[in-house]
Order: sequence, then structure tokens, then C-alpha cells
Amino acid sequence: MPPGSREIAESCLDLLNIELVRSYSEQLKGRPELAGRRVEAIGFQVGQQLVERATKERPRFADHLEVIKFICKDLWSDVFKKQVDNLKTNHRGTFVLQDTRFRWLTRLSSDVPPPGTPVSPSDTPAARASAEAGAYLYFPCGLIRGALTNLGIPCTVSAEVNQLPACSFTIKIKP
Amino acid sequence: MKAALRPGDAAFANVEKVNAELFTLTYGAVVRQLLTDHEDVDDVNKQLDSMGYNIGIRLIDEFLAKSNSAKCADFRETADVIAKVGFKMFLGVSPTVANWSPDGKECSLLMDDNPLVDFVELPDTCQGLSYCSILCGVLRGALEMISMRTEVRIVKDMLKGDDVYEIRMRLIETVPEELPYKDDE
Amino acid sequence: MIVCVGVVGQANNPLFIQSYTEGDDALKFHHVVHCALDVIEEKATPKKGGTGYNETYLGLLYPTEDYKVYGYVSNTRVKFIMVSDDLDAKEADVRGFFKRFHAAYVDAALNPFHVPGKRLASPTFAARVNGIVNGFGKSTA
Repeated sequence: MPPGSREIAESCLDLLNIELVRSYSEQLKGRPELAGRRVEAIGFQVGQQLVERATKERPRFADHLEVIKFICKDLWSDVFKKQVDNLKTNHRGTFVLQDTRFRWLTRLSSDVPPPGTPVSPSDTPAARASAEAGAYLYFPCGLIRGALTNLGIPCTVSAEVNQLPACSFTIKIKP
Repeated sequence: MKAALRPGDAAFANVEKVNAELFTLTYGAVVRQLLTDHEDVDDVNKQLDSMGYNIGIRLIDEFLAKSNSAKCADFRETADVIAKVGFKMFLGVSPTVANWSPDGKECSLLMDDNPLVDFVELPDTCQGLSYCSILCGVLRGALEMISMRTEVRIVKDMLKGDDVYEIRMRLIETVPEELPYKDDE
Repeated sequence: MIVCVGVVGQANNPLFIQSYTEGDDALKFHHVVHCALDVIEEKATPKKGGTGYNETYLGLLYPTEDYKVYGYVSNTRVKFIMVSDDLDAKEADVRGFFKRFHAAYVDAALNPFHVPGKRLASPTFAARVNGIVNGFGKSTA
């Protein structure tokens, strides 16, 4: 089958993502930030590569806003199977992308073991669930940053889990 | 009219699917990151195998829930179901089972179409890398959950110029189900 | 006939340059590619309004006595350059060439071992580009 047209079970991707997070948090026990950075780097490479192909047939973007809209619509649909629900900007280089049902969080079942989550002081079940979910957002953060960087927008990307499975990504364009 | 769906096709039709590209690129990026993390390429092979193992022990649940496969009588039947239903259901491809040993404890899965390696070209510096060793771990982990201890390795690799991917599986022992096998490390 | 093709990275670093002439023209073509980059820079600056401004295909960059130099730039700011000694090449052929050249690059960039911004060392890519170069002007697709 020609590359680029085939399909596989979505659970392969879920299982790989879960294991990726688990394995790095195990290898780098007690250093969740370093583990997060490794996973982010993997997402970064994927984001870079994805946009090479995803923008192959389209005219060049005229400005940053066009690129951000492309991320929210086209790339989001390709990767997360829906579009971003809400896009906000302060018009000074910060964009907030809200997804009320983030695909990768809806796909995480409750039996996923906590990937070496540090015990947080606010140890309510909701806080714990958010912290666990947070470990799975390094990859999409890296993916978005890789995509934007390759499209000429160096930036930082961070994520916040609101009420599962809603989450938001904050993109800060580097001046 | 087409003939009735084969079991693997039916299972594949039943699962949620995604474009393979995202998966293929993610796996590729994982391999490259591991090569950066580890100096020794053998450690990367082991790490991939171990990641596969952890995936395998989870993946078996979905397989049993969605494949509608009857319980296999022996290793021969199991190998057949892995090839025709398991691979098809998850990766959309069906290897052939071949090269059985006379005692029926060792066989090969052969495939020339492998979604893991789309776009991949192994650099000269990585000839020791067994790029697809995650598959070995997945098989080992999944089989262990159904009481079969196995040894799985890749013996032919198209990324290294072979004409086919050959995954060799050897049944070490079948663990009686009432005594769940515990891995003491 | 195409005499030279090049792929140049985001930082204007050459990723792939291949010439198809008998002589030792490497230096000459490096110079041609270098000059082409300045023109691309100018042509590719995004402009609002008007039509055709934001095409990836940039068309004829500049003619010399013996050659015509064409350019193309991807959304990821990778530049593609082609030098032809056919002074009457059809635009459709040139566009078709760049489309295939770009597609070959994208597939090479999806190899997990390709490091963005580093030279394209893949023999598969080089072979594919040779095929595209040899097929130039021979089909109307």
C-alpha cells in the first residue's frame, strides 16, 4: 500500500502514546520534567514532519494568523479528529486554543496507571486526574511547537487541563 | 457480491481507525529519541522490545474483546490467529505463517508490507538497529497474557536489504491458567 | 535539458545540489544557486492582496545567457531551484517538475533519521530526483 493512504487501528497510537509516557517516567524516575522534555522532543519531530506533508498542496501562508488558523482547523482535524473549539488571542503574540473534548484525553481510559505522577499537595481526585492527564500533553505540545516552528513561527507551547477531557494550549510566539 | 468478510477484515472494520502516518511518524521519532538517549544501539533494541512488551500486555484485552476469536487449541492455531486476525485488526496487514519447526513450537511470520517502516531509510551508522523490535515485544507480552511464554526475534529485515520481514516466534512453555505466570525479576 | 537542481534549507544552507553536465561545474552552479536565493528572498516575501502572490511556484528567477533559473518555495521555507538550458521550456512542465521535486523532498523529510536542516544524504531521494530530472519535458502531466 502506498505510504500516506493506509489506515491502522487508532488504539495502536493510543497504546504507543501511553507507553511512551510510562516508559520515560520510569526511566527518569523522580525527574518528571526531564521525562516531559524527552516526550515533547518526540512530539516536536512529529509536528515538524506532519506539516511538511500537510502544507504540500497549499499556497504559502500570508501571515501568522493564517498559520494559527491552519493549525486549529486542518492539522487539528488530521491529528485529533476535530477542530479546535475556541481560539483567543491578545493580539500581542499569544494564542489560546481551547478544545472541549480533546481526543487524546477522551481516549485515555481510567485504568491507565499514573505515569510517575508526583504527589501534589492538592491531592483531590480531580487534581490528581488533571496531573496524570498533564503527562500526556507533552507530546501534543511538542507536536504543535514543531508544526509552528517549521512554518516559521518559533514559539513556546504549554497546556492546561481544565475539566477532563477539556484542555487548552497556550502558544506564545517568540519575538 | 463479495464473499463474507474474513475474521481479520471483520475485526479491522470494527475498530476506530486513524491515518497510519501519525503512528508511523510517532514511532520513528521514538526510535530516533532513543538513539539519542542510549549510546549502545543494542540498548535501543532492548528498550523498543520492552516498550512493545508493555503494549502487548494491554493490547490483548482489546484483541479478546473485539476479535471474536475462539480460544486457540495450540500454538499452531494461535500463530494463525495472530497473523490473520491480530495483525490485520491493529495494523491492517496480514503476515503469512511459515517455516514451522518439526515439533510445532517454532514458526515465522512473514510480511513484505509493514506500516512501521513507511518512509524509513536506515542510515549506515544504524545497521545494528532492529527497527521493528517493538513488534517482538508486543507479541511476547500479548502471548504471555494468554499463558504462553515465548521468545520472539526478528531474523529478516527489509530495511537491511532482506526481501521480507521475518519474525521468528518460539514457544518456551505453556503456563497452566490456574497458576498465573509471575515474572520474578 | 535540466543542468542543475538544488534544495536549500531554511537558513539558506544547501541540502542537496546536483548538476547534470559533463564538465566540472560544481562551483559555477553553487554560484547560480546562491544568486537564485537572493531573488527567491525578494519574490517570496508574503504580500497581502493581489493574485498569485502566495504561490509556492515562483517562476523564472532570472535568465543568463545560457540558462534559465527557476524557483519554488515550500510553506516550510525550503527552497527548490532548477536550472535549465532549454530557453523555451513550457511553464506547465516547469510547474510539474517542481511539484514532483517537492513531493520527493517531503517523503525524504518523513524519514525519521533525516535531521531537518541537514544535507539530504538518502540514496533513494537522489535516485528519485534523477528520475524526475530525466522525465522533464517528456510528459505533459
